[in-house]
Amino acid sequence: MLWLWGLTVHINFKLLVSGVLLSLSQQAFAQVNIFACEPEYAALAEELAPEARIYSATTAMQDPHLVQARPSLIAKMRQADLVICAGAELEIGWLPMLQMKAANAQVRSTDKGLFFAAEHVDTLDKMANVDRSMGDVHSLGNPHLHFSPERMLLIAKALTKKLVQLDIEQTEAYQQRLQSFSKRWQAASSKWHEMASQLKGMKVIAYHSSFRYLFDFVGIEQVADLEPKPGLPPTSTHLASLLKRAKQDDISAIVVASYQDLRGANWLAEKSSLPVIVLPLSVGGNEQSNDLFSLYDNVLDLLIQEYNAQKLLTL
Amino acid sequence: MKNMKFSPTRLSAKVSAALAMSALIPVLAQAQTPTLSNPTVSAILDGYYQSENRLMAERTEGFGLGETELAFSASIDDMFYGKLTTVFETHDGESEVNIEEAFIQTMALPNGFTVRAGRFLSDIGYLNNQHLHSDSFTSRPSAYRAFLGGHYFDDGLRVSYIAPTDLYWTMGAEVFSGDSLRAADEHGERKFDRTGVYTAFTKFGGDIGVESSWQLGFSYLRNENGLLTPEEHDEHGEGDHEDEHAEDEHGHSHSASYTGKNTYVADFVFKWAPNGNYKYQHLTLSAEYFRVSDFMVPELHDEHEEEDHHDEDEHAEGNSKDYHQAWYVSGVYQFSPNWSAGLRYGELDSQLQHEEHFDAQELKETELSIAWHNSHFSTVRLEFSHQSNVGFDNDLSDNAITLQYVMALGAHGAHQF
Repeated sequence: MLWLWGLTVHINFKLLVSGVLLSLSQQAFAQVNIFACEPEYAALAEELAPEARIYSATTAMQDPHLVQARPSLIAKMRQADLVICAGAELEIGWLPMLQMKAANAQVRSTDKGLFFAAEHVDTLDKMANVDRSMGDVHSLGNPHLHFSPERMLLIAKALTKKLVQLDIEQTEAYQQRLQSFSKRWQAASSKWHEMASQLKGMKVIAYHSSFRYLFDFVGIEQVADLEPKPGLPPTSTHLASLLKRAKQDDISAIVVASYQDLRGANWLAEKSSLPVIVLPLSVGGNEQSNDLFSLYDNVLDLLIQEYNAQKLLTL
Repeated sequence: MKNMKFSPTRLSAKVSAALAMSALIPVLAQAQTPTLSNPTVSAILDGYYQSENRLMAERTEGFGLGETELAFSASIDDMFYGKLTTVFETHDGESEVNIEEAFIQTMALPNGFTVRAGRFLSDIGYLNNQHLHSDSFTSRPSAYRAFLGGHYFDDGLRVSYIAPTDLYWTMGAEVFSGDSLRAADEHGERKFDRTGVYTAFTKFGGDIGVESSWQLGFSYLRNENGLLTPEEHDEHGEGDHEDEHAEDEHGHSHSASYTGKNTYVADFVFKWAPNGNYKYQHLTLSAEYFRVSDFMVPELHDEHEEEDHHDEDEHAEGNSKDYHQAWYVSGVYQFSPNWSAGLRYGELDSQLQHEEHFDAQELKETELSIAWHNSHFSTVRLEFSHQSNVGFDNDLSDNAITLQYVMALGAHGAHQF
């Protein structure tokens, strides 16, 4: 009980002495502390606020749907000034628990230090009626936004606004960073669109809808999914039906993300003699993908290499 | 059964002060737009078939329903979060509706403080604050069944704090009415403290590389009503005693079977997944140790000590200790998104009051469970359990098989570590 009394004294002290001052001072002098749910948003933060302390809760080798609300993440969120997540319910299985346990009011509301990328762009595949029998689908649309160059630029702009809101004194620096990023991104985007034109019409079987936006922007058609339903692992009956589909001979490759299990893909590849392409899900998904730019470069390179090899074979 | 009687006036003045503080803070906090409340409704369906009765267990022989719950939760406004969990239980043909959780929690106190009030699960130990449906075994370890009545929820108040450090460090204190942890009082004459339970806990945790995470916790529970009730020897026949105890063992009750003034708990959890990716394979190791002491009333204690000396030459049976203890270790491995298996071993070492002396009891349990998960929301589990005991009055078989399903409907909330 003595201990409890100590607590109340502590709150009292903070209230009386600091009150409003406290919340101001915390933001003005400290380095901005950023917690990113996924590595692509840590990478974006790195571009827009390189002097911030940035932590990514997940790696490109991890399924962002299934993350443990583990102690280290709670501790990091406790200290965060800004939390950047994909949103659209991607993190529904762990983010609310982290927020609850971290007791950090600053990052509970998007009015303050919480930023959901999906709120600033149009998502694909929104659904009016979502039912669990459909698997792990999100009514707010596909949350794996980061392979859409146009959307990432919009997100960068919105994120800069958020950074300015939280750290108003550095407004100019943030604006400059955004300007520089936009310039480089737009230049890279036109290069990527050019690369993408080589891939137009490519048909693939992929695992989950992880690359929905990539395929959308590049013009690749995902004709089938290794998952029988979103979130459910491949079953043998489903794989058998995919093999049947593969025999139509119009498919160029099986695409799997860096965190996904290869067993189903390898089985199908062996039976159908289709190549398997493992694409980095995000920054850090392979050696070449060190930032957003090299991630896009690498993903497009991998696809083009395989597609060209396939075309040579059929000639 | 519990009744809802959380009343601040019953709490000590110091805690009331803390409560008053929490009411003041919103006034001082910066004004902000209230977030739209987004009520989450979820239901858990749990049914089973068990081949035998088990000691102190909630599940009984035959077909039955486990904890079938309906929960509502939402942010009430920018300051408060609320949750209501009702549990439907059936025992011997009788249905009960109980409130397991009905609490409000602050969401916007500064500096890492959180206050929770109402009825909620105590944060002592590792498993206690987890909901039963997230367990990997069909029943709680004997430590929980013996000392906490399965899982300890109660009416009270919690203040917790989380430190702004990279090493996870949280600590907290709770006060509860403590009704379910009262010592047995068969004549109903004992005057119990209405605010009976105080707890303090701390937890540490972190990661080891990308693949491993751990958490270590220490808790203390002080139970003002934990001391045994002195027995009136002439009024109290042998038969009565056995009946009463038998009910403790087999009957349905959320009350603790063994109580004491001081309970100490240490818990450790370690989780591992290849690349830290929990989608396909992961391992969870956990262990907890409970020690419950100071349950003998002074006169009994003296007699007990005398008896110990006296018994030394005769036989070992009277060699009981002045504390209860229990521990378990458990390992659960998910092989694939669809399959997981767990192995748990636990021991309970308790002292049973028997007229003027205490008899040592020992219960050893081994459980092997295999679960099939069609998705994150549906589990079918088969469990084999083996128990051997000394000193328990029962004719229970040594082996039991339980077949259970646990399924979640609706928006199902995030799980704890």
